Order: sequence, then structure tokens, then C-alpha cells
Amino acid sequence: MSTSNHHTDDHLQHHFKDEDQQFESSKLGMWIFLVTEMLMFGGLFVAYIIYRAWHPDLFYLAAQELDAGLGALNTVVLIASSLTIALAIRSLQLDEFKKSIQYLSATLVLAATFLVIKYIEYTDKFAKGILPGGHYSYEGISHEMAANFFSIYYLMTGLHGIHVLLGMGLIGWMIIKVRKRSVHSRYFTPVENTGLFWHLVDIIWIFLFPLLYLID
Amino acid sequence: MAVAGALLVLTFLTVAVTWIQIPEPFNVIVAVGIAAIKASLVALFFMNLVRDSLLNRLAFVLSFLFLAIFVVITLLDTLFRDSGFPVF
Repeated sequence: MSTSNHHTDDHLQHHFKDEDQQFESSKLGMWIFLVTEMLMFGGLFVAYIIYRAWHPDLFYLAAQELDAGLGALNTVVLIASSLTIALAIRSLQLDEFKKSIQYLSATLVLAATFLVIKYIEYTDKFAKGILPGGHYSYEGISHEMAANFFSIYYLMTGLHGIHVLLGMGLIGWMIIKVRKRSVHSRYFTPVENTGLFWHLVDIIWIFLFPLLYLID
Repeated sequence: MAVAGALLVLTFLTVAVTWIQIPEPFNVIVAVGIAAIKASLVALFFMNLVRDSLLNRLAFVLSFLFLAIFVVITLLDTLFRDSGFPVF
């Protein structure tokens, strides 16, 4: 990249040799952050694996209470949102700002749809008395450890839901950035990293869905 | 686009395999296997790891290695507890 171009100078930090190095450093940092995210969720997956190994009958019974239809719908919603954010980055790389904003907005709408469906699921469970930990009061599952399954369920889907909220915040921020034209084909690192974060949220849900909803 | 299509087909497959009864423990293996294929598609094509630097690819692959170490070492304890030891 030519340093005489004033467009490229305004975002290149002085401690980087050139734009490529800055981009690669930023992206590696993002990947390492994603690895720490996976290990954080990893703790919950380990809890899940231990409990399922101890109480396979409980996991079978409790999963019947979850709505696999809504879970599958949410999987489709998140996959669609992964596609739209990938298309948003592609558009930005081609300096198609308007299209990029449209795709980012579509991603935001899909993320909100995911949370609305999650809200419907949660309120349905709450109404039945399926609450995490000591607040559990549902009688429909004849297993003494039933509350533990739902504690794991709420922790895993809850932490995932918080990530969806964070992702929505980031995507909203990126829409502002594209609108201000502070990101463009020569500098799209923030949008690229937001995309990486969003895809990880999708990947985690891809594992959560069959593990929690589809136990036969 | 094709990747998204493949992901949707695999999602349908995830649900469909629960309609046919697969005996334990293969139902879990099939479910996690399909999820792993879907996750790989997202990582390789949406996250563009297929054309990314070796270092970034290594970071992602290593995270699964450390996750596996985490799972295996924990299970070495919890799977082999005596009946006298409390399970929760």
C-alpha cells in the first residue's frame, strides 16, 4: 500500500510497519480472543459432558421439554445471519457502502429475531416453573436431578444470548462506521473482526442445538 | 451462498437423524459429527480460514486441542469415582 495516499494514512497506527502488518496483527489478536471465548464456553461444555455421562436418562427426559422446532428455527436464523454478515464484508471490500449497510442491518434484524424466539422459549419455561438452580419448581420430569439439567441449559444458552447481544452492539457500531465511511475497501479491519466474532456465536449455537434440544 | 445452502441442509439432517432411532452412543456421535462439519464450513468459508494465514488457522485448531485436553482430564476424574463418592 502506498503511504502517500491520505486515505490510508489516517488509520495506520505509528507502531505498525504498514497496513498489512496492522491488519494481520489485529486479526491474530481477534483469533486469540475467540480461542479464549471457546475455552470459556468449554468449561460449560465440560460440565454438560460430565452430567450427561452421570445421568443419561435425565438428559433424555429433560430434552423432551425443550421445543426442538424453535431450536431448529433459531439455527436457521443464525446461519442466515452468518451469511448476511459475510456478504456485508464482501460488499464493503468492493466499496458498496449502501449494500454493506443493508446486509449489516439484515444481520441485526436476524440477531433480534433469534433473541425474540429465545425470549418466547424462556417465558414458556418460566411459566411452568422451570427456573435455574434452587428456583426450579416444575413437577413434570420424574428425576431428582432435573433442576441441574436446566441450570446447565440456562447457563449455556444464557451466556450465548449475552454474546448475541454483544454481537448486535458491535454490528450496530459497524453500521455507524460504514455510514461515516471510516471503513472502506482499504481499511475494513473492525468489520472483519466483528464478522469473526459473529461467526463464532453461530458456531457455538451449532453445537448447543443438537446437544440440548435433540437427545433421542 | 452454496455454503449457506449446505449448512441449511445439514441443519435439516441434524433434526432428521433424531427421527430414525440410532442406538447409543452413535446418536451422540452422529449429532456432534454433523455439528462439527457445520462448524468447519462456517470456519473455513465464512471466517475465511481456508485462505487465512497459518498462524490464525493454528490458533483455531489448537483451541480444539486444548478443549480436548480439558475434557479428557476432567473425565478421568469424574468417570472413575467410586460409588461412595458423591455425584451431583
